[in-house]
Amino acid sequence: MNVTQLYVDSDRYGEPPANLLLDTVRSAVTDLVRRKLAASGGNWSEFVFSASDRLITTEDFLAIERQILASGYRFGWSAVISVRERPDLYKEAEAIGASLGAFSFEHPNAVVGPADNAGREQRGIGDNVVRRKDNVLGIARYVRSSEQVIDYMTRGVPAGTVAIIDDSGGTLTAPILESFAGIICAGGTVRSHLSILAREYGIPCLMNAKISGIRDGDSVEIETSAAAKTAEAYQRGEEVTARIWKLAR
Amino acid sequence: MNKQTTYAQLLETNNLIQNCGDETYWLCVTRTVQGSKLFPVSPYILLSYLNAFYRYPSLLRKIESRMRAEDIADRARNMGMKIQNSALGWALPNFYLLGRELLLSLGFLRPQDALEDVVCVMDFWKRYLLSWHRNDGHITNREYGHRAQILPDRRLEVFHSDMFPCEPGDPLHEAAHTALATASQYGFLVSCESRISLTNSGPYRLDDRHEMIVRDFMDLAECSLPWLDGIAKDVPYNYLTVPMAVRDCHFSLIDDWGSFESKPEFTAEHLVGVGLYTSDALSESFMPISMGSREELTSAFSSLNEVLKDATNKLWLRIAGWTRDQMIDAGALVYYNIIKDLAHVAGVFEVDDWLTIDRRAERFRPLFNDEFSDQFLGALVGSLSLPNHCQSPYTMMQHSDRPTRTYTPLPYSILAGEEYVPSCGPIQAGASHLEPKVDRYRTTAGVLTLEEYNRRAREFTPQLCSEKYRFLCETWTKYNHHTPLANELYELEQRQSRTLRGKGARVVRPG
Repeated sequence: MNVTQLYVDSDRYGEPPANLLLDTVRSAVTDLVRRKLAASGGNWSEFVFSASDRLITTEDFLAIERQILASGYRFGWSAVISVRERPDLYKEAEAIGASLGAFSFEHPNAVVGPADNAGREQRGIGDNVVRRKDNVLGIARYVRSSEQVIDYMTRGVPAGTVAIIDDSGGTLTAPILESFAGIICAGGTVRSHLSILAREYGIPCLMNAKISGIRDGDSVEIETSAAAKTAEAYQRGEEVTARIWKLAR
Repeated sequence: MNKQTTYAQLLETNNLIQNCGDETYWLCVTRTVQGSKLFPVSPYILLSYLNAFYRYPSLLRKIESRMRAEDIADRARNMGMKIQNSALGWALPNFYLLGRELLLSLGFLRPQDALEDVVCVMDFWKRYLLSWHRNDGHITNREYGHRAQILPDRRLEVFHSDMFPCEPGDPLHEAAHTALATASQYGFLVSCESRISLTNSGPYRLDDRHEMIVRDFMDLAECSLPWLDGIAKDVPYNYLTVPMAVRDCHFSLIDDWGSFESKPEFTAEHLVGVGLYTSDALSESFMPISMGSREELTSAFSSLNEVLKDATNKLWLRIAGWTRDQMIDAGALVYYNIIKDLAHVAGVFEVDDWLTIDRRAERFRPLFNDEFSDQFLGALVGSLSLPNHCQSPYTMMQHSDRPTRTYTPLPYSILAGEEYVPSCGPIQAGASHLEPKVDRYRTTAGVLTLEEYNRRAREFTPQLCSEKYRFLCETWTKYNHHTPLANELYELEQRQSRTLRGKGARVVRPG
C-alpha cells in the first residue's frame, strides 16, 4: 500500500457527501489518518488497531475543530447545553433563557390566512397525533429551556396552557408535560417520543408544526378533531394536516 | 487463506449484516424523527457506536466464557429484563455495525479489518435471537412481519387468566393508564431521550375482538445506571412487566425496537385488562405484584405512579445540572450498555466494562459538535450518503431503490489470501465524567452489592430453565400435555398464579 493512500481512497462508486460540512470534516479526518499512517512507517496492519490508537489523539480532533472555526464557520446547535457551554463554537442562540421577549417560531412554509367569521386567523398547520371529538383552545406558551421548566415546576403550569415546543423528544418538559392542555411541537412526527407520551397521557398534540406569528400569551385553537396522520401517510409522502389558529383577543 | 473463518461463515455473516442494514434503514426512515433541546442526542449516539465497536466483541466473548448466547436467551424468554427488543433484536448488531461503518467512512478501517470480531458479534446475535424467538420460529420481528410471539403458552395462560378486567372510568383503568404513562415518561428520561427502557412483545390473540401485548419497563430502580443512585432508591422494582388486553384494536406492527403500531390508534379507551409483574436474573419466573385483588392492584399502580413521578422530577433536576460532557457520557453509556443485562444474567458484570468510554472512542469527542453529529448520523442511518454507502449503479436497495447499502459486507477476498487484521483487540482503559456508580443494585432478592449480585447470578438457574425442563417446548407440550411431566412443567409456571395454581396442563386456555 502506498503510504499516502488509504484502502478506502480507491473506491469505484463512492461519491463525496453532498453536505459541505460532512465533506470538509471527513476530508480533514481522512487526511489526518493518511499523515499518521505515513509517520508510522506505512504498514497498515500494524497501524489499524495499534499505532493509530496511540498516534491519533484528542488533540488531533481539536485541531480540526480549530481549523474550521478559523474559517469563520460556526456550528448549528440542537441542545441548549451545547451553545451555553461553548458560545464560541455555535451560532447565536435566541430565546432559550427565562425571557422570551417577542420571540415566535417563523416557519417559511407556515400556512396562514385571514381571520374567519369566528375571528380565527390561521397561523399554521401540524400533524395530528390522535383524532379527538373536539378542537382544543388555550393560551400559547413557549417552553424552550430548563429555566422555564423549573419555573413551571415551582409555580405550576397555568390551566389551559397549549405548550409550543421544539423538543420532539419530550425529556425537556418531562416534569410538567402532563399539565399541558395541548401541545404544538415544531418538529418530529406522530411516531416521535413526545407523541408517544402525548398519546399515553391523553394530551392533544400536533407534531411537525409549521407556524408563524404566534407569540407567548396568544389565544390559540388547534384542530385536534382533524384526521390523525398515519405511518402510511408518512411513507407515501401524503399531506394530512390539522390547522392552528390564533384567536382574536 | 484464513484458517479460522470459512466461506460458509462469511456468506452467513454477510446475510445477517445485509438484513440488519435493510431493517435499520426502514426503522430509521419510517419510525422516528427525534430532536432534543435537553440532550445532545446525535453526539452521544455516535460516541456510543464507537464504544460498541471497540468493546462488544471482547465483552461478548467474556459473557460466553460463562454462559452461551442461546442459554441466556432461554432465560430471557422467561422474564422481562433488558435483553429483548430493542437491546438484542436490533441494538447489539447495529450499534456495532454502525460504529464499524463510521470508522470505515473516516478511513480508520478497511472492510476486512476486525473480521473475526464482526463474525463473532453476528454469530452471537444469530444464536441469541434464534433461541429467544424459539416459540415463533423466526430470527427477528422483521422476519415475522413485525411481530414477536416470544412467550411460552404456559406463561400466556397465566397472564391471561390472572389479569383483571378494567373499563374506562373505573379506578383500576385510571390507575393503570396513568402509571403506564408515567413509567413511559420516566423511562425516556432514564435513558437520556431514547426509548430503550421500554419494550413490547406480542400481539397474542385472546379472541376475535381482543389481543394482548406484554409491555416491559426496564432499569427503573437503583441499577447499573449511576444517575439513578439515590434518586431511585424508593423505586421498589427494577423491571416491570405489564400484560395488557385491548378490545377492538389490532396491533399491526411490533418492530425490532419493541415499538408498536395499531389500527385504530391505541388509546386508553381500548385497554380492558391488565396485570403487573416483576422479574430478573435471580427470579424463578415472572413474580406477580399485588395481583391478589383488583383493589390491591389499583393501589399498587397508584403507588408506583407517585414513586415514579417523584423520581422523574428528581432525576430531571439532576440532569438539568449536568455539563455537556456528562450528558454525552450518560447518553453514550445508556446506549452502549443497552446489552449489559447479558452480563448480569451471566454473573460477569463489571463497572469498568459497561460504565466507561474506551479511550479509543473517547478521542473522537471533539468531532461531535451538534451540527456535525446531526449530519453525520443522518448520513449513517438515513440518507446513506457517505462514500462507503455508494454501490454499483445497477443496485436497487430494498425500501429505497437507490444504489446504496447501509453496511459494508465482509470481503470474500480474504479467502483468496487478501491480508486482514482479525480483531480490534481487548478493551482498553476508559473513563467517565459521571459520578462513580454506588455499589447498590435493586434485585428481586433485595438490594445487593455487585459482587453478591454476580455471585448469586452465577449460582442460579430457574427451574424452568433447568436441564429437566428447558427443551420441553410447545411442540412437545402439544402431544404430551396428558403426562405427569407436562403437569409438573405447568405447575411450576403456575406456582404464583392466583387462578391457575396447581391446575397443571389440564386447562387448555382460560376464559
